[in-house]
Amino acid sequence: MKRSLYMGGLPGAMSRRGFLRACAIATAAMGLPMEMIPKVAEAASDPKRPSVVWLQFQECTGCSESLLRASHPDVATLILDLISLDYHETLMAAAGKQAEEDLDKAIEKGNYILVVEGGIPLKDGGVYCKIAGKTAVEILKRAAEKALAIISIGTCASYGGIQAARPNPTGAVGVSDIIKDKPIINVPGCPPNPENFLSTVLYYLTFKKLPPTDKFGRPLFAYGRKIHDHCERRPHFDEGRYVEQFGDVGHRLGFCLYKVGCKGPETYSNCPVIRFNDVEVWPVSVGNGCYGCTEPNFWDTMTPFHKRLPNVRIPGAGKGIQASATEIGKAALGVTAAALAIHAGVGIAKRLATGSKSEE
Amino acid sequence: MAVYEKKYVWSILLRLFHWTFAPSIFTLIVTGLYIHWPWTNTWLEGSHQFTMATMRWIHFIAGMLFTCAVLARLYLWFFGNKYERVWDFLPITGRNIKNLFSTLIYYAYLTDHHEERLGHNALAGTAYFFTILLAIVQFLTGLYLLYPEGSIFTSIGASLFGTQQEARFIHYILNWYFAWFAMVHIYIVIWNDIKHPEGLISSIFDGFKFAKKEQ
Ligand code: HEM
Ligand code: SF4
Repeated sequence: MKRSLYMGGLPGAMSRRGFLRACAIATAAMGLPMEMIPKVAEAASDPKRPSVVWLQFQECTGCSESLLRASHPDVATLILDLISLDYHETLMAAAGKQAEEDLDKAIEKGNYILVVEGGIPLKDGGVYCKIAGKTAVEILKRAAEKALAIISIGTCASYGGIQAARPNPTGAVGVSDIIKDKPIINVPGCPPNPENFLSTVLYYLTFKKLPPTDKFGRPLFAYGRKIHDHCERRPHFDEGRYVEQFGDVGHRLGFCLYKVGCKGPETYSNCPVIRFNDVEVWPVSVGNGCYGCTEPNFWDTMTPFHKRLPNVRIPGAGKGIQASATEIGKAALGVTAAALAIHAGVGIAKRLATGSKSEE
Repeated sequence: MAVYEKKYVWSILLRLFHWTFAPSIFTLIVTGLYIHWPWTNTWLEGSHQFTMATMRWIHFIAGMLFTCAVLARLYLWFFGNKYERVWDFLPITGRNIKNLFSTLIYYAYLTDHHEERLGHNALAGTAYFFTILLAIVQFLTGLYLLYPEGSIFTSIGASLFGTQQEARFIHYILNWYFAWFAMVHIYIVIWNDIKHPEGLISSIFDGFKFAKKEQ
């Protein structure tokens, strides 16, 4: 496919400077040192670099959407231009028979990274998701055969996603539940951050292998750390300053969203650091708690979204350190006042009883 | 042979003050220095352990007790028994000024003569007086740091000390005063207890000292 296939609104050919910039961003996101930037750039522009085949199954296209909305033109261009996208249903101009031929050709040619978006239904022979008369499982299995590696983009392709939520009527699963003999990496999120996807691709192009992952198959550079430990509202959590209700004073003051359901304490992702859409936002920064969308089965385990997570340790006897110190301070002040009152009372009583000032 | 009699010197309230003040200072110095320079490894993610949060929490609670103890001592300056009142031990009377210098000379081993008194000697009293004043500065800076926004301590702190950072600097410097004070205090108390049979150390537990009976 030629770049002419991609939607008109995207910036034209990338300048060398913009290209290097995007490589630098991705290199930083991967947690690699500065010296790696030229390596990454070289891999990204290698004419023999693998192409990308992008399959879409049970999904809302939100992952592709968020990728296109990577408002940083460099990042968007890098994704859509430099990695040669051989097949992407939403983006390509071809349709119908022609599109199917494109897919066949790409698969035959081999040397591609397979990107999967969306869950794959298995129940009743997989009839709940079909493209061109073939079930999603069939298409996936066929495309996986010659793939160098598979990237599951989004929580659906990674773990089944919303259609896999109880009672999972279509028997939806993630890619790694079906394909066992290929390197697979999950880039979950609903949607995932485009930069994490881009970095994963570039990592593969640079090192010819997938980045190290955690036990849920997610790249550690992006999903290695807890949201809660990097959240800008964390000091409020420690001190015991919470939003009790959306729209209250605490909400306006930017307090911690734990009590209105934030799942940050159980969610692994670099959202607070990388943020979204290049305008430096992420859910917590705009006043809504984290829903835990990068975690497997979050539709089942993280709901209700606006009820607080149980068993989260709050420092300061469960109240926050400043809040509980204030409480204890008030109590101590009360006890002191009582002690002084008793002292004064005894003094006055003694004087009344003896009729004179006591000597000692 | 000298005969001694038991004299009630330190009221319950004063002893309560002392035993709140002393341990809280110890705790505040340890946790305060941790806040200043967190010496443990803090590689663990903060939601598994809260070393700094816990240290600060203990510091603030101890700070509350410390503040209450100081308030109680201020009350006793004016309404305590005759040994506890501030004019009993400040060098503002001829007798106390003389005592201040004689105590200095005595502590310097320049003389063996010293005045027997049941309350504080003027040197100790003066030190305690300034310690309480500095304790007020310490709890005001502390409360200013603890309630940096929109509280009475914010306005008091800002007008007395300036910015948070300036208050923190004062708070930190005074940490060393209290550490120094605690050391000197304990040394001199033990020194006196060894040199005199008045029962100085036990007096802060049971309130009684022993004075030579006048014959
Ligand atoms: C003998 C009494 C005290 C000592 C020796 C002491 C010592 C310290 C020290 C060394 C620090 C660290 C300063 C720095 O980082 O440079 C500190 C911080 C602090 N102290 Fe105290 N302090 C005392 C009393 C208090 C009191 C009475 C309060 C108020 C309740 C208080 C509240 C604070 C606060 C809020 C901080 C700042 C903590 C932070 O920002 O993380 N302190 N203290
Ligand atoms: S609970 Fe949520 S809002 Fe609060 S500190 Fe943790 S991640 Fe941030």
